[in-house]
Amino acid sequence: MGNVLELQGMSMSFGGLKAVDNLSFSVRENEILSIIGPNGSGKTTTFNVISGLYEPDSGDILLQGESVAGLRPDQVHERGISRTFQSLRLFGNMTVLDNVLVGMHTRTKAGVVAAMLRLPSVRREEAAAKAKAQEVLAMFPGRFSGPRQSDPAFSLSYANRRRLEIARALASEPALLLLDEPVAGMNPMESREVMEQIKELRSRGYTILMIEHDMKVVEGVSDRVIAMDHGVKIAEGSYQEVATNHLVVEAYLGKRGAGTAS
Amino acid sequence: MGLSRMLQTLRSITERVPRRVWAVAGFSLAAIFPLFNVLGFMPTAWLRVGVVSLVFVMLSLGLNVVMGEAGLLNLGYIAFFAVGAYTTALLSSPKFGLRWPFWALLVLSALLAMVAGLLIGLPTLRLRGDYLAIVTLAFGEIVRLTITNLQPLTNGPNGVTGIYPPRLLSQGAIDSLQASGWSEALLKWLVIDKPIEYYYLVFVFVVITAFLISNLKNSRVGRAWNALREDELAAVSSGITAARAKLLSVVLSAGVAGLAGSVYAYYSNVISPESFLFMQSVIVVCMVVLGGMGSIPGVIIGAIVLQALPQVIRESAGAMRSEFEVYRMLIFGLLIVAMVIFRPEGLLPDKLWRQEVHEVDPRELEKTRQSLFDVEEGHQDLEA
Repeated sequence: MGNVLELQGMSMSFGGLKAVDNLSFSVRENEILSIIGPNGSGKTTTFNVISGLYEPDSGDILLQGESVAGLRPDQVHERGISRTFQSLRLFGNMTVLDNVLVGMHTRTKAGVVAAMLRLPSVRREEAAAKAKAQEVLAMFPGRFSGPRQSDPAFSLSYANRRRLEIARALASEPALLLLDEPVAGMNPMESREVMEQIKELRSRGYTILMIEHDMKVVEGVSDRVIAMDHGVKIAEGSYQEVATNHLVVEAYLGKRGAGTAS
Repeated sequence: MGLSRMLQTLRSITERVPRRVWAVAGFSLAAIFPLFNVLGFMPTAWLRVGVVSLVFVMLSLGLNVVMGEAGLLNLGYIAFFAVGAYTTALLSSPKFGLRWPFWALLVLSALLAMVAGLLIGLPTLRLRGDYLAIVTLAFGEIVRLTITNLQPLTNGPNGVTGIYPPRLLSQGAIDSLQASGWSEALLKWLVIDKPIEYYYLVFVFVVITAFLISNLKNSRVGRAWNALREDELAAVSSGITAARAKLLSVVLSAGVAGLAGSVYAYYSNVISPESFLFMQSVIVVCMVVLGGMGSIPGVIIGAIVLQALPQVIRESAGAMRSEFEVYRMLIFGLLIVAMVIFRPEGLLPDKLWRQEVHEVDPRELEKTRQSLFDVEEGHQDLEA
């Protein structure tokens, strides 16, 4: 199995603060890799660099062997990396279906003039895109059925908005899906459901890189886990290996806490 | 209390009639409007009000693309209107002794306005909200002042006079049609010089513009605009090239304004910088806000109401006419304040906006607070 994503010695600093320091790891095809770590350890910054919101100071990011470091977010998306956000970012005043259709922007081609005239080719593309969007929404059975698809996104429940964000990211059939705390703020039942859905995505062939604080979810879905602290990778391996690593325990509980825990 | 209940009942009745029916009714009414004049029920002055109203409908449709769809506030929109109008005026008037063909000038006016849109859009579109508004406002003033001071080209404050009426076909073609036995009465329609002819000319343009823009609104291009309006960070992360999409909206809206300007120059026969004051930009913004941002039927209604209403009041004011002129802006202001309080989504809102504005429960407020927080965060994200 090849590597979908490879980070090679990536560093990112803001002023004097090294948010991410010489970070290297790779995501293998069709696996779920989780990044854990205390707040401020550089997880979300890593995501922002991968998805093109920041340009890394040094190092390289390879998507299927090709560098995507320094590309704009829309270009990164087109190459096949799509993401969700820790603080939900939906298009509130657009319908559920339109939110997903925006996710397919790079997978459709209609130009301005063709769209203005609504040429037959545009109509065909539009119909195909709609069918595809409905298919994506159907991955969340019962959540976005029928008339709900024309509801505005802001009217959805919290959990459904998280689901819709995932659906929007999936619409472009990305080579790599970045999920930033997909179950944040959900109750245990909801997070269990999302957990199952993430596993199902893997069985459908998706490759997922995920940031998550909920250790039950991390344990439940991850093939491998990376732990970060202060911008540095401190551990990598199976959930069991990482969770028992003394550096990781220290990072979460402090040196004294780690002493009493072991 | 009683009034608000009455309004609610009225609304529930009007909303039971499907939108399509309203659209067809409105279209038909606009299409037969000049016939009232022909049959003698209505003075020609009203027909003139109709023509100018339709020109402003075009302007609002254009501004709606950039303001309603892409969410960019443009306070200098009238400048594009001016570019179109002056292009036409200078190339079809005794000023330089030119009379370029109507269709060519129409296209050229739109194109030059689009170039102006490109020029102002390229450096400014990375600005947000208030900053963009200020820069576009300044742009509008610069264009107007340039026109005022570029005396040799534009006659300055005196304006360009004697703009030739548009000929739908070249004089040669008209002559040869006449020679081959076409009746004079029919051929007279090919030279647009009566209000009724202008009315139908602009009407056709409005219908075409509305059709093209509504197609665009429901396409991937329109969705990209909406996404940028809702959340720029999420939009670019979903593969939308922000700079290109925004520029496209500015250029397209400028093109519509240029077209409207061209027609307006032909119709009014005389144009001067006075027609392109900052106040005019504000009025077009008001038309879009009053009608309902992002809603095509809405902005059409908004433009007609704001353009025709003052005329109606002026007519009915009779002897008080000059008094009214003084209070016009005051009435506008009150109207907008009243709208913002009682119907912030506009007269005929886009379906989604209406829902949002009227459903306020505590959870929504919390969400709004949350998303405001997100916006701040997003700005930081984008700036870093």
